[in-house]
Amino acid sequence: MDEKKRIFDDPKSYVRGVPIVVWLLFLVVVPLIFTFTMSFYRSKGLVLEKTFTLDNYKLFFTDPIYSRVLLKSLRLALGVSILSLATAYPLAYMVSFKMVRGRNLLFMMCIIPLWVSYLVRIIAWRSILGNRGVINSALMAVGIIKEPIRIFLYNRFAIAITLTYICIPFVFIPVYTALEKIPKNILNAANDLGANEFHSFINVILPLSLPGLITGFIFSFIIALGDYIIPLQLGGTQGIMFGNLIWSQFGFAFNWPFGAALGFVLFVISVTILGLTAKFGSTEGGFLSE
Amino acid sequence: MANNETSAIRLQNLTKRFDEVVAVDNFNVEIEKGEFFSLLGPSGCGKTTTLRVIAGLETPTEGRVLLENKEVTKIPAFRRNVNTVFQDYALFPHMNVKKNIYFPLKMKKMPLSAAEPKIHRVLKLVNMEGFGGRLPQQLSGGQRQRIALARSLVNEPAALLLDEPLGALDFKLRVAMQKVLKDIQRNVGITFVYVTHDQTEAMTMSDRIAVMKDGLVHQIGTPDEIYNEPATAFVASFIGDMNFLHGSVFSSNEKGGHATVSDRTIQTRKSKKTMVKGDEILLCIRSERVLLNPKNKEVENIIESKLMRIVFRGTDYEATCVFDDSEIRAVVGATAWGRSLKEGDAVHVGFNAADVVVFPRTEEKDIIKYSVEAV
Repeated sequence: MDEKKRIFDDPKSYVRGVPIVVWLLFLVVVPLIFTFTMSFYRSKGLVLEKTFTLDNYKLFFTDPIYSRVLLKSLRLALGVSILSLATAYPLAYMVSFKMVRGRNLLFMMCIIPLWVSYLVRIIAWRSILGNRGVINSALMAVGIIKEPIRIFLYNRFAIAITLTYICIPFVFIPVYTALEKIPKNILNAANDLGANEFHSFINVILPLSLPGLITGFIFSFIIALGDYIIPLQLGGTQGIMFGNLIWSQFGFAFNWPFGAALGFVLFVISVTILGLTAKFGSTEGGFLSE
Repeated sequence: MANNETSAIRLQNLTKRFDEVVAVDNFNVEIEKGEFFSLLGPSGCGKTTTLRVIAGLETPTEGRVLLENKEVTKIPAFRRNVNTVFQDYALFPHMNVKKNIYFPLKMKKMPLSAAEPKIHRVLKLVNMEGFGGRLPQQLSGGQRQRIALARSLVNEPAALLLDEPLGALDFKLRVAMQKVLKDIQRNVGITFVYVTHDQTEAMTMSDRIAVMKDGLVHQIGTPDEIYNEPATAFVASFIGDMNFLHGSVFSSNEKGGHATVSDRTIQTRKSKKTMVKGDEILLCIRSERVLLNPKNKEVENIIESKLMRIVFRGTDYEATCVFDDSEIRAVVGATAWGRSLKEGDAVHVGFNAADVVVFPRTEEKDIIKYSVEAV
């Protein structure tokens, strides 16, 4: 007997799905189709020519500058994700396992940056890293240096640091959630069976928090890959990332079809990474879905 | 008293406070090697805290813990040669059965090849051979329980600590697992410290029981002593089905005593505590020691009463009788005579002086009012 339920066996379940389908259709699918079709158009001066041409993709694949920038952006995104994980994981670990009181307060403090405007936080970092910024002033006050050092701002270092700062809450939240899901009795058991804190971490906590770790990695990677404001504000001459290329096609060059093509390339890369990591995450993380 | 060679666990003046709450209050005990020792009491009595202190998962506020005559009070859990079976099993969900059991051996840096026969042996011991490849969520509650047990035993600890290990199982499975646990304990000869709130479980499995309430140890003794010689009114009420009557001391001597219960005189056992005439007391009589319509010569105390209620319980009847303003329950065998009893009948209740235990009335506040058997 075929016990599989068909959609019309329970029409109500079909109706329940309508809102989410509509939501997805208008907010995700339709804009994507627009972008996708536009990437085959041609721009002539200020006029959009609605033809079908592969010129935009041809340009991307033939002119090495684009793939070079893309590669640079991917490297940056990878670096930022690793940095964010390296910062946020220990933080989440401390809050989840080491704090006895004030855990909710600390959790809130880790989340609060998200309430402050994105631009304000970027400007804040400019004033930390700048010539008369916090770091230089402090170093000069202590007497380590006499002149402000210019290595902090307007380079890739500044972009990476600021992006990492932006990404930390997005890594912290899934990692913290995953750590909180681990029953404390399991850690007691590990301890009881001869594992010190390090061995408990390697053998029990790390594998059980892997799903959160992967989610955090995906979040930060995708945020870092697509961002164009931070490179623009803090990157100086090194501040051309793939996001900036896309933005400039829309903002300055008025070449929307090429911008759409670049955007679609970025979209495909993000989806691929998402797909790969989600697959890895679900097989490794399946045990939590009991 | 155990001598030095046979002592497995010794607690000396053990006290644990959480802020202002005293969880364990001055616990002293010596548990012998190979003993099945139970910590029994209602929830919140400090039995689990005591177990966690022995395991090293809690540090005592005062006092010392000795394992095999070596002080371990300050030694962390992962270096103590005792293992715990947790109430919810605490199996590692991302490891299969074999890896779970290998874990404590891996922590001792034993290679898998050397561990393999040990793993196989404990799996056989708990009758779970062939389950090595399963993940914990693919096992039933009873199977998880047995794997948790195997994992704790594989290291051959000096003592096994069990924290209400059968609490999550249904009744039939619990009874079956009690037998399994007891058999394993006999076979491996390891000291078991067993935490439970179930008096039947403690009575049937233990060599000795410590009965606790609000952090205080009320009595440590064999099941027989706990049942027949309760040290406090709390112990008397917590274990078995006990009748409590209000009375006062009439006389007391070497052999026994006389008490007054609403103008009647009742012969009692000798009190453990010194009492003088007029002291307010509680008289405790087991319901199965109360006889209905006994022959005159059979018992020392006989009281005329009225049968208020009779409840059929399968193997027997519980008869509730009243006299004056007191109530007394008796157990009557499921015989033809038992069936003929009707509510409102005039009956005599009788009991021996040796079955009447007395406590000062001040202990009445400690009495557990519900009866587990009646639920």
